[in-house]
Amino acid sequence: MIAALWHNIDYAACVVLFCIGLYTVITKHNLIKKFMGLNIMETAVFAFIVATGVVEGGNAPIMGPGVEPPFINPLPQALILTGIVVAVSTTALALGLVIRIWHQCGTIEADELREAE
Amino acid sequence: MKRALVIALLLAVAVPLLIAVADLPPHGSPDAPAHTHVAPRYLERGAEEAGAENIVTAVILNYRGLDTLGEVTVIFTAMAAVLAVLVGARAVTALDTPASALPVSMIVRFIVRVLAPFIVLFSIYVVLNGHVTPGGGFQGGTIAGALVIALTLIMSDEQAARLLPRRPERVLQAAAPLAFIMTGVTGLLLTGDFLGYPVGHESALVATLMLTFVEIGIGVGGAMVIATIFRTMGAGR
Amino acid sequence: MTTWPPLLVAVVVVPILGAVLTPVVGQWRARRAADWALGTMLLTSVVALLLVARVADGGPFSYVAGGWEVPYGIELRFDEFSAVTAIICLLGVLAIVFSRRYAEHALPEVRIPYYYALLLLNLAGMLGFSITGDLFNLFVFMEILSLSGYALVAVSGEKIAEMAAFKYLVMGAVSSIAVLFAIGMLYALTGSLNMADVASRLGGAPVAPVAVAFGMMALGFMVKAAIFPLHIWLPDAHAIAPSPVSAILSGLVVKVGIVGMLRLYQIAYTSRALDLEALNTVLMWLGALSIVMGAFFAVFQDDVKMMLAYSTISNIGYIVMGLGLASSAGVIGASVHVFNHAIIKATLFLGAGALIFRTGKRTLTDLAGVGHAMPWTVAAISVGAISIVGIPPTAGFLCKWYIALGAVEAGHPFFAFALVFGALFIFIYYIRMVNAFYFRPPRDPAILEVREAPASMLVPILVLATLCLVMGVLGRIPLSFIEPAVTRLLAPIGGG
Repeated sequence: MIAALWHNIDYAACVVLFCIGLYTVITKHNLIKKFMGLNIMETAVFAFIVATGVVEGGNAPIMGPGVEPPFINPLPQALILTGIVVAVSTTALALGLVIRIWHQCGTIEADELREAE
Repeated sequence: MKRALVIALLLAVAVPLLIAVADLPPHGSPDAPAHTHVAPRYLERGAEEAGAENIVTAVILNYRGLDTLGEVTVIFTAMAAVLAVLVGARAVTALDTPASALPVSMIVRFIVRVLAPFIVLFSIYVVLNGHVTPGGGFQGGTIAGALVIALTLIMSDEQAARLLPRRPERVLQAAAPLAFIMTGVTGLLLTGDFLGYPVGHESALVATLMLTFVEIGIGVGGAMVIATIFRTMGAGR
Repeated sequence: MTTWPPLLVAVVVVPILGAVLTPVVGQWRARRAADWALGTMLLTSVVALLLVARVADGGPFSYVAGGWEVPYGIELRFDEFSAVTAIICLLGVLAIVFSRRYAEHALPEVRIPYYYALLLLNLAGMLGFSITGDLFNLFVFMEILSLSGYALVAVSGEKIAEMAAFKYLVMGAVSSIAVLFAIGMLYALTGSLNMADVASRLGGAPVAPVAVAFGMMALGFMVKAAIFPLHIWLPDAHAIAPSPVSAILSGLVVKVGIVGMLRLYQIAYTSRALDLEALNTVLMWLGALSIVMGAFFAVFQDDVKMMLAYSTISNIGYIVMGLGLASSAGVIGASVHVFNHAIIKATLFLGAGALIFRTGKRTLTDLAGVGHAMPWTVAAISVGAISIVGIPPTAGFLCKWYIALGAVEAGHPFFAFALVFGALFIFIYYIRMVNAFYFRPPRDPAILEVREAPASMLVPILVLATLCLVMGVLGRIPLSFIEPAVTRLLAPIGGG
């Protein structure tokens, strides 16, 4: 098990990053920090999916004269480009909401907001 | 107590995930299913049948074009969402934020002005070269959007408002999905399949034109959306 | 009956095109945006009806965008479960009609075009979600509908709307990430993203990653479906949103989690990669808990929309329990309840919206006696209430009967008790509501002076209320319609 994990250390690192993000989301009260935690989780998953596409010693999947196989798997990269755009979009909306919350309540600390309710 | 709960939760997430990733096919091995099932076809035939030497672009625009239509829709959604949340807010400001921040220093002003034309050029290059080098419509559009943001920083609000074309603004904001759907329908007319691109030597030019059109559409749309989101957020300063 | 193959893609592309053009059309006059959105949705409905007619006639069919072969391009697959598109279109049209007056009253005018754009995007996301046969495409459509959903909650700009939307966004985003992680693992294991292809290649995969991937995906979808105890985002978000949005969110958006679960089951059962006994047991228990807890919380609410929101949790509990039972009758009942609950809950939320629009009040105490002033609206709400309790011959009865039957069939009569118990609770709180509207003396006599809801609101409400009754009488049609899909779903595990 440990040996197998060592071989997949890249994936394990993504899991650790994922948990760091989750920790931030759960424990931080500041809404922007909460959202940064979410971004860390997203990044962890993106890194994981890109890592599934890695081939040892592979080249960038751009064809043309003078390039040799093996190539990196292009599919995960294409997926994650889409994933990044999705993450950016979510971030934009979250920040918009935070701006409004700040204007209306004068604070973006979750515990103070709960009291204000 | 609370801390113990958090630790328990994190362990409950981490341990199964670690056990799972340990059993995944070995990282980097060329024999993993991810490298033997679908991807080889893309690598072997992508350049000829999908019309882009950069296989990532071929996958994005051609093989999995529907995903990218979804992607540009998501970014449009983000813009509509930010506008719907922020525009026309009833002014119930609880705290007055200072009306304007520090004046921008001359150095920043100068550097942004000097770099601006080069940034424009670079963004156009990234958009148009997406099918042969890393890059593409969205990346180029983001660069152009970043330029608009940088210019907004050194200008007065009135000047900045003139940066984005006023009249066709809302059409340009929707440029990415519109260009995509138009290309999709063109493909439907030419090949009988939505988002189909004509294959073959004689129609290679048509396919390239269609791909370029989509890239430009995504670039313009992306830049407009990013600039609009930024401006909407900054409007309440 | 055959249809032109690319028609399948049109059911997503038409509303997206309509949505991105809505701000352009609504640039000068907000009403134009409403007309445009309505036109778009009507066109989409025609397409959806053609597709449903085809699946009823000849079974599932699919289309691969761009003309590629199956694992290489994105497959759109229309099966019996995808018939939920019809109900999405129906509720979409009615919500847009209802919004015409409501939006002018509740939203700043500059936001109205964006409101309709987001509504269309939300519907487009759901339509795409229910017809796609590709895992990553599923994620993309899920994000379109989630993102527009978060924004629609906040669009009214009321004081706690943004907070509710933010809470919804954080929970929703975490669940989306979990689903994406699971999709990534399935890709690493099989090298494919096409659902059918993944299912066929998952057989020899190592057990641990498959189990974790399925678990993460189920967890993500359960958050989207608001199963107790993952429901905490739902009550505020659904109660504070503008009423037509509440109808869409409660009637349809939470069902996305259910459709996602159905897709997960399709993959899991077909692949036979592992035994789903554990997941099914969890679903049964959480379903039963949701039924009871949702109903329990609803009893203590005075705010009408809050009460309806909790009642959604309870009803999702029925559906999830039906899925977890994994017996033919249970799954059929659950699938049909997805349709019926959408109609019933939309009736109730739109009805409540009309009451709030006319009176400006939203608690049962303040709304006492309103039944005399707005007879049609309250009559429709009462029909909805009777349906949701499950009194025959209304729409709610048959599904719950089937789910209870499924519980007995699967050898878990205890869960049938939970169901009956939940129904009793639901009966109590809806009786309370109807009682307040008709028989309690008004707190403020002015409430007797309000006028009946305007036609643009009344017509959608009455159409839905009529459907509640019609679906009760014709309840066997959807049951027999969905049956082949359920039989196919359960065949690999020897059920059915």
